[in-house]
Amino acid sequence: MEIPYNVELREDTGLYNSKLGIWLFLASEIMLFGGLFSAYILLRTGAPVWPPIGEHGSIIHLLKDTIPHATFNTVILILSSVTMVMAWVSLKQKDLNKYKLYLGTTIVCAIIFLVVKYFEYSHKIHEGFVPAHDTYMALYFTLTGLHGLHIIGGIIVLAYLWGPGISMWNSEPERFTNRIEVAGLYWHFVDLVWIFLFPILYLLN
Amino acid sequence: MSNKDLAHHITHYRNIFIYLLIGTALTVAASYLEFNVKDSIAGAVFVGLTIATIKGYLVAANFMHLNSEKKMIYWILMLTVFFLVLLLSIPLLWDINNMSNY
Amino acid sequence: MSDSHHEESFWSKYIFSTDHKVIGIQYGITALLFLFFGFSLMMVMRWQLAYPDTAVPIVGGLVKWLADLNGFASNGNLPADLYNVFGAMHGTIMIFLGVVPLVVGAFGNYIVPLQIGAPDMAFPKLNMASYWVYFVGGVVMLVSFFLPGGAANSGWTSYPPLSDIATTGQTYWLIGMVFLITSSLLGSMNIIVTIVQLRAEGMTWMRLPFFVWSQFVTSFLLVLAFPPLEAAGIFQLMDRVFGTSFFLPSGLVIGGEVLGVSGGGSPLLWQHLFWFLAHPEVYVLILPGMGVVAEVIANNTRKPIWGYKSLVYSAAFLGFMSFLVWAHHMFLTGMGQGMSNFFQTTTMIISVPSVIILTCFMLSLWGGSIRFTTPMLFALGWIPMFGIGGLTGLPLGLSTPDIHLHDTYYVIGHFHYVVAPGTIFAIFAGIYYWFPKITGKMLNESLGKIHFYFSFIFMNGIFWPMLIQGLAGVSRRLSDGGASYAHAQEVLQWNEIMSYSAWLLAVAQIPFIINLVRTMMAERAAEPDPNPWSSTTVEWTDTTSPPMGHGNFEKAPVVHRGPYEYSVPGESTDFTPQTQS
Repeated sequence: MEIPYNVELREDTGLYNSKLGIWLFLASEIMLFGGLFSAYILLRTGAPVWPPIGEHGSIIHLLKDTIPHATFNTVILILSSVTMVMAWVSLKQKDLNKYKLYLGTTIVCAIIFLVVKYFEYSHKIHEGFVPAHDTYMALYFTLTGLHGLHIIGGIIVLAYLWGPGISMWNSEPERFTNRIEVAGLYWHFVDLVWIFLFPILYLLN
Repeated sequence: MSNKDLAHHITHYRNIFIYLLIGTALTVAASYLEFNVKDSIAGAVFVGLTIATIKGYLVAANFMHLNSEKKMIYWILMLTVFFLVLLLSIPLLWDINNMSNY
Repeated sequence: MSDSHHEESFWSKYIFSTDHKVIGIQYGITALLFLFFGFSLMMVMRWQLAYPDTAVPIVGGLVKWLADLNGFASNGNLPADLYNVFGAMHGTIMIFLGVVPLVVGAFGNYIVPLQIGAPDMAFPKLNMASYWVYFVGGVVMLVSFFLPGGAANSGWTSYPPLSDIATTGQTYWLIGMVFLITSSLLGSMNIIVTIVQLRAEGMTWMRLPFFVWSQFVTSFLLVLAFPPLEAAGIFQLMDRVFGTSFFLPSGLVIGGEVLGVSGGGSPLLWQHLFWFLAHPEVYVLILPGMGVVAEVIANNTRKPIWGYKSLVYSAAFLGFMSFLVWAHHMFLTGMGQGMSNFFQTTTMIISVPSVIILTCFMLSLWGGSIRFTTPMLFALGWIPMFGIGGLTGLPLGLSTPDIHLHDTYYVIGHFHYVVAPGTIFAIFAGIYYWFPKITGKMLNESLGKIHFYFSFIFMNGIFWPMLIQGLAGVSRRLSDGGASYAHAQEVLQWNEIMSYSAWLLAVAQIPFIINLVRTMMAERAAEPDPNPWSSTTVEWTDTTSPPMGHGNFEKAPVVHRGPYEYSVPGESTDFTPQTQS
């Protein structure tokens, strides 16, 4: 017996299996980032000054300098969300080349995001603002770092779906399209987290 | 999905993208304005988070197709959001009600 | 896939199998081994508690070897530092490497698809991945024993600041937990999707066996409650590896010196995030057990479970409430009246669904034709044991008596009653009940009864005196069992009694092990009875014993009735299968 509802929708739920699966995964991710944000709230409301002043002073000036970079990153990630959903639309239109173009763009956007992040990190570390410097830096690196790990994970999955994984398009096109939809849901979520991280970490100080 | 549906979707996504860009610009601009009431940044926090929530909603409803999703998904998400709010409110509620220094 | 049967290699058939039955057995064997290991740690600890600072017999050489490896002085006794290691790892192993993988990974994986009439879990490859991630997590935890400074030693609760500055073993604990949490998340997502999407035709929600409902609610708890602990674990790793101060307050003095960190952190942050998981976690420990007890009671009373709807709604409500009570573990942290009132109230409310469930089980016995088979004995034994566990929770859930009882042996007695003669009895019931389905052979009843009676006696011998010691004020986690405290002197004699009960409990498991080995080695009948217990549920009525590979069922079952149609008036037999039209 084959496992049903990988492609066709189950009548009473209206879902295919991996769609339910990915939303459950995203529910757990919401709780994960919720735990991180909850820590941010607790540590911030308990601090006399925010960002706290440490050995090298306050990060506030350096932070203000990087607002343009973070804004650029926000735009890049939003763009990648658009190209991601367009990749799915392309498959719905049975256009494999457009799919590869849009998905490729998504991956490139993600890589650009990481490169900008790298420069941001090294600039701060170079000035002595390491995670151990104060609780703001600890939160900054942990939250954006974990988010960055999610981006890396996403890149790996998307690269697989762009490259070797594409062979499923020939054998089971609808199931492959579903995979892209599901990967897209994950990708949009990563974008969504950044939409909240950006103002919280960079702007509200 | 028919080609007409898809074309409609594509225009829709483009529009959402534009709204998101506007939202981002607003978020950054708002952070430079003075919302501070009585030395508290609560005003700025409120404005910033509201814009972020709207942007988040746009992504979730449109790119993630949440505005046409099935009941089961809505239930799971509502349950999750309830517990998320609980998780986020601990520090706030604790702080008002604490007798120690921690 | 089912048409052309290709030859599977040993590796893909037994090691990297994607068949839920093989994976269930892998989880079962691994978890039972971890349970035994965790128990062994406690047996050594109980020597130290009964006869402080004397050399441990039989394994004293091994203890000394380990102590030396870790850098602790020992002459064959269990030194205090190693006692702390054993204590922290006993808790960690029993919960995360033993019980949960057994009740969810083993029973859940094996039985759920069969009971709902599905060919496998929704995501077989993910299932395989979740087992191996669990395995790696287990290896990381075991390896940490051999480090200088030993394995984690800050309690299974890993409270900072102590855990932040503890030896390397704690870092391994955190990494191990990341693997275990990941495995748990993957597994529980799989179970939820399987139950929602792969129910056979006619298997409506209210026709599901209560076991499936218990797994469903448990999986939601795992999906939503574990991530905050993962977040906390990441923070603690950052504190330990990158020197951050998530949990370290400013001006912390250790060993007479101010700690050279940035400060500004909060030890309470860890407690909140930890208990946000760890409270729902205890319901993860008990709910599947309740599911097993329901199946066994219905089957062995030959009548439907009393109050099916009440059971289902209670289980769901219990799961929901479990997220709202966590700070009853934190009553003594200086919380204000408002918080204290809130959490006491929710804690009292959460006892209601548990009582409803227990009452339904007890009422189910009324008027039943009770068969005192081994699984039924364990299920019957579960009832009063869980009752004691639940009742002893009440003074802990009220903040005023908790002032006296917090962090005493009373707490240890309370939770062990729920998990040890609670969940573990349910696990035994499940093993004896489903063994013939998994292997096609019945376990020996006489050995089973010996196993039950002696286990029951010695479980009480270990945990009842803990309630006495706790009420006298003996603190937990003391490596001398309270010997150096005046207030403990009057109740010290219980230590020896508890220790002997523990060792005799180990002896009482020998008939069980013999039973398992002998039965496994015995030859299976040519055509084993697929339903030796005359049960109504799909795993018994529609598959062979063991179930066929690649899809479980010759053809997809169609369900026509509820799960517990025993002794239906007018029927020729005293059980009517779910799939009978």
